[in-house]
Amino acid sequence: MNLAAWNTTLQFAGVSAIFALSIYASLWTGVLSLAPVFFGAVSAFTFGWVTLTVGLPPVAGLVLAAAGGGLLGVLTAFLVLRLESHYLAMATIALVLIGRVLVLNMEDFTGGVAGTLAPGDLGTWLWCLGCLGLAAYVLARLRGSRFGLAASAVREDPAVAQSLGINPRSVQLVGFVLSGVFGGMAGVLQASFLQFIGPDTFYTHLGFTTLAAVVLGGAFHWLGPIIGAVVFTALPELLRGPLGEFDSIVTGLLLVVIIIYLPRGLVDLRRLRLLRGRGKTAVSE
Amino acid sequence: MSNAIEIEGLVKTFGGLRAVADVDLRVPQGSIYGLLGPNGAGKTTVLNMISGFLTPDQGVIRVHGKETHGLPPHRIAREGVSRTYQNIRLFPGMTVLETVATGAYQRRRSSILGAVLLSRAERRERAEVTAKARALMEQVGITAPPGALAETLSYGDQRRVEIARALAAEPRVLLLDEPTAGMNDAESHQVGELLLTLRGQGLTLVLIEHNMRLVEEFCDQVTVMNSGAVLAVGTLAACLEQPDVREAYFGKRSDARRIETLRRARRG
Repeated sequence: MNLAAWNTTLQFAGVSAIFALSIYASLWTGVLSLAPVFFGAVSAFTFGWVTLTVGLPPVAGLVLAAAGGGLLGVLTAFLVLRLESHYLAMATIALVLIGRVLVLNMEDFTGGVAGTLAPGDLGTWLWCLGCLGLAAYVLARLRGSRFGLAASAVREDPAVAQSLGINPRSVQLVGFVLSGVFGGMAGVLQASFLQFIGPDTFYTHLGFTTLAAVVLGGAFHWLGPIIGAVVFTALPELLRGPLGEFDSIVTGLLLVVIIIYLPRGLVDLRRLRLLRGRGKTAVSE
Repeated sequence: MSNAIEIEGLVKTFGGLRAVADVDLRVPQGSIYGLLGPNGAGKTTVLNMISGFLTPDQGVIRVHGKETHGLPPHRIAREGVSRTYQNIRLFPGMTVLETVATGAYQRRRSSILGAVLLSRAERRERAEVTAKARALMEQVGITAPPGALAETLSYGDQRRVEIARALAAEPRVLLLDEPTAGMNDAESHQVGELLLTLRGQGLTLVLIEHNMRLVEEFCDQVTVMNSGAVLAVGTLAACLEQPDVREAYFGKRSDARRIETLRRARRG
């Protein structure tokens, strides 16, 4: 693979990482949601429309998409948070399906089956890493905060969390807002790199591969989804050279091995803590 | 003295089983109150209804005069009710310090924006919460380092982490479901001493407990339950005088005779 191809692959890995953080944001609060794909679709088509038809500068489009994503997160939360675990996950998948139907039918706005163009001004390393860094910074800061501890508690045992005065629904609402903002940013960047978006750009395939990246990278620390997204975007490209069409077999095997031997993902703070505890070193936080 | 908890006519049915049948309970403020009875008597069910995990089918629960039955658990917790669990329920992957700090949720005020920008208020609050968590760990007698995974601690320490987590919420009523299960006599006694200290700080404590020596030494008053109903109320000594309480715990004399006959028959 030449340098230019690598460059493109890694840029898309960066966008995948933001999508992965969007999934992680609600997973942190115990909600498995594919809504980030929907958030991405809405923001990408809105971005294309406000920049090319309305004539806003792309940066304004990005800010608008991030804010709109947050708002969409709130609406989605009110819609789906009354459901429990797997029904909730199903509802978010339904949202992805609805997104495609909307894209196909709102032709004036989205270009329908033909899709639409988007400006490529933001399709640079600077914007990609800037947005990724921002998302990671926010999640890292929240980790030990009042919200962060409550989110982990709700995820691990919602009943116990409630007995500590934590309202799971409001914690999950915040998770959806974060997810919406990150999903909005990721959608704009995806559109900026591709410069063309269609009904299949933001569909189930994106959702499932991103979810796999989150789970395999590690769904218990913000670093996990980033590593997972980079590894599982770059790996197939790396393997395609020596293995040709067999690359997906190796990727698949690797997934199985990770699921069996590292069930909490590549980045697993719990395992580190266990190992550290076994070494009997006194730890002070 | 006013009551911290008042329960009238509490009923809970699971399918055809009346787990709790018409239970009254009055826990005086600032007391250590024992909830006794053999397994399956409905003690934990009562505790679960006080903390809101279960909704009563009938009856009234008042905490410090406020009706709490029907409220979701987090609202009841905000009325100053904290609890521990019979089967220890710690958060997997969290350190001892994080677990205890999670309990301080209600006492923290900083916003999400403050946390992201790492405002001065956020930094001060984190330092306060950490200091408080460490102080609580010391008070309940956790010997493990604060950075250890809570789930790797000894059984007794895990129970103590649960108590510290519950105390971090600064409750007015603390419900303890078998706090000394799996502890030896010395450790149980330490828990008893801790209960006295907490009562001294103005807390009301309700505990389900099978260790009679502990109950005798530390509980001001007890309620004995059996098959979902209240058998006796009062001091432990007075309750143990009652024949139906003895029967619930040790069985009937006629049972003893029957068992003896069976044994003999089997041997013969």
